[in-house]
Amino acid sequence: MAIPAGLEFRNVSKSFGAVRALRGVSLGVRPGEAHALVGENGAGKSTLLKILAGIVQPDAGEILWEGTRMHLGSPREALERGIGMVYQEMLCFPNLSVTGNIFAGRELTGPGGTLRHAAMRARTQTLLGELHLTISPDAEAESLSAAHRQLLQVARALAFECHILVLDEPTTSLTDAEADHLFAVLEKLKARGVTLLYVSHRLPEVFRLCDRISVLRDGMHVETCDRRGVTSEHIVRSMVGRELPPRAADVSVPSSTVVLQVDRLTRRPCFRDVSLSVHAGEIVGLFGLVGAGRSELLETIFGLYQADSGQVRLDGVPVRADSPRHAARAGIALVPEERQRQGLCFNLTVRHNLVLPDRIVKGDMLVHTARERREAQDLVSRWRIKAAGVEVPPESLSGGNQQKVVLAKWLATSPRVLLLDEPTKGVDVGAKFEIHEIVRREAAGGAACLVVSSDLPEVLALAHRIIVMREGRVQGEIPGAGATEEAVMHLATADLRDAS
Amino acid sequence: MKKLWQIRELSTVAILVVEILFFTWWLWPEAGRSHPFLNAGNGVLILKYSAIYGIAAIGAAIVIISGGIDLAPGAVMALAGVIGADLFVTKGWGLTTSMSVGVLIGLLSGLLSAGLIVLARLPPFIATLGVMGITRGAAFIITEGQYFDVSSRLIGGWRPLGLPADWVAPIIMLGLALVFQVLMTTFQWGRAVFSVGGNETAALFSGIAVNRVKMSVYAIAGALAGVSGVVLVLVQGQGKADLANGYELDIIASAVVGGASLAGGRGSVMGAVLGTLIFGVLRNALPQIQGATFYDRLIVGLVVIVIVVMDQLLLKKRA
Repeated sequence: MAIPAGLEFRNVSKSFGAVRALRGVSLGVRPGEAHALVGENGAGKSTLLKILAGIVQPDAGEILWEGTRMHLGSPREALERGIGMVYQEMLCFPNLSVTGNIFAGRELTGPGGTLRHAAMRARTQTLLGELHLTISPDAEAESLSAAHRQLLQVARALAFECHILVLDEPTTSLTDAEADHLFAVLEKLKARGVTLLYVSHRLPEVFRLCDRISVLRDGMHVETCDRRGVTSEHIVRSMVGRELPPRAADVSVPSSTVVLQVDRLTRRPCFRDVSLSVHAGEIVGLFGLVGAGRSELLETIFGLYQADSGQVRLDGVPVRADSPRHAARAGIALVPEERQRQGLCFNLTVRHNLVLPDRIVKGDMLVHTARERREAQDLVSRWRIKAAGVEVPPESLSGGNQQKVVLAKWLATSPRVLLLDEPTKGVDVGAKFEIHEIVRREAAGGAACLVVSSDLPEVLALAHRIIVMREGRVQGEIPGAGATEEAVMHLATADLRDAS
Repeated sequence: MKKLWQIRELSTVAILVVEILFFTWWLWPEAGRSHPFLNAGNGVLILKYSAIYGIAAIGAAIVIISGGIDLAPGAVMALAGVIGADLFVTKGWGLTTSMSVGVLIGLLSGLLSAGLIVLARLPPFIATLGVMGITRGAAFIITEGQYFDVSSRLIGGWRPLGLPADWVAPIIMLGLALVFQVLMTTFQWGRAVFSVGGNETAALFSGIAVNRVKMSVYAIAGALAGVSGVVLVLVQGQGKADLANGYELDIIASAVVGGASLAGGRGSVMGAVLGTLIFGVLRNALPQIQGATFYDRLIVGLVVIVIVVMDQLLLKKRA
């Protein structure tokens, strides 16, 4: 690199157990530029950021700022080096005021450690003014909108001398107008000489804001290119690194028998009058923006919540699922969105996790260890789950293999209806394709599959039919074969665009 | 198969053995005298007094494994004990009937906690703190401060099923420990308790009837505290409202020392019983050491901390 790099990663490597998250990544960020970091889920972006934030320590390699090596042993050290972070999941203290949030952990103190409330409040007022935010320094964070909470994090990063601002998918839960405001703020910071490291998989945003783009794939740095002279198609190819497998629509043909029929199902305020049907052997993609009510719909079909009105029928027979237990016994399975929180019991072994739903469906009273071990080993080899045996805890598995455990434990019950909520969220590309294959095989075996995914290419690759939801209603339906990203996105966002 | 050193209960057994060896050596008598600690009579005594805590600790361990906490057992023991004693002494009911009613009262107290936790969605700490107050208060109201002399109504040389009276409490404890150990390890219900304690949301999403599991856990803990209370009345020979004051913390400590994790999802019934034996030996041996009388609470506290710290270090090593 001829131009002196402001921020430089040199041969950074990091493994989590058997998973090699980063393999010798070297890349440079010029001072004062906006630099994008793109890559698929599991490409290593988050790990790289966590290393920069001092949350995770690299196994090898170093990070330099203006040629000198930085030791980032803790988030505090990173902050002291002037590295500010804006996280995707919006860390904030909902119980504290805006001022309290900005200074949390780094309060201004006077003699004897007393808090200098007035000084902090004044500083907050100035910061909010700089960011053109019309919120009160005394407002509780709880009462703020998602966008304001996101900008609060920017303010928090700027409250102290900050020359590198790292943003991890900051627009995930923002509307277009809110995102515009954020970009305006970021442009201004850039003009002030702050170096921006911007992580996103939304390429239009990346092209709008950033000067250069670095691509990560499977833990390795693929390339860094200038925004000018590169197309988004090029970046996508670089991220994926291989051709996508054939679409499900070309692979198998669904039968004409309706298995799952949802009639005018309503649960306020999440969704209203949702009607849809899924045939045997069919994969239906359910697309929509965050908050469209898709997860809530699946959870209601699965009996986690009660519908206000409407009906769910399975093979023509109404199912009154008032708990997941009844739903599972009726032949409905749900692979939930968050495998850490909803999918796995981490105090139990992989074997225990794998056999749990099947035992509940069968209503067994006794534990048969030998039979469990046999069944678990079968599942592990059938779905090619990479684990050091079935007696290990799930945390020793990679994210993709954990997800396969969640999938396999439900497939063991031979469900008629397979509900999948973001089935490949946070798994690496290889596991993603394997999970797609598993879903296709289940469909080919006659299951009715309903897949919620925010990953548009995934929906397009997998679904025979795509149903789009927006603000709790079914907005339209598109056959999978002829669908384009534009057509689906148009249905998902039409009103939002009209409004702005 | 589990390797031997991976079985958590073994380290508790090891601590117990070391403890017994230590007191045997420390209290070794002068030549010609009998050993004050290491003799059969004293062994039965330790088991008898440990059973008072041990039976309730079985329930406490199950609650803790399910991810909850129960602060009520001490007070529930008192209420179950005084009601049993009242029926037996003043109403002249039969021994078995009176004591069964005592256990039933324990079960009802447990169901009250369960209802508050599952239906009213109170945090277990608060719900059982409330039930602790209610049951202790009820015990005082019922007794109006008087105490029931159970021992004088027990016929001299009372030998249930032809066994020495001293053996009753230990046998009840070991029998119940065996039953619940089996329920927790070879029944799907036990697996469900571990799942709920490990990850309640995932358990719900896996089709486990989480509410039913939680109800059952607190009901069992209540019933077992009831049994403990009845045993306490029989062992002490009297029933009064301030029985078992502060026992809840000793009971929780026993379960924790026996391997139960307050974060839920880990622990065992046998471990909890072994934990009460560790404390039972301490409570028996310390008063026999000259000058140690004032130190026993301090030593009990230190033992809890040392054992749990050791356990965490071992856990890290195993991982």
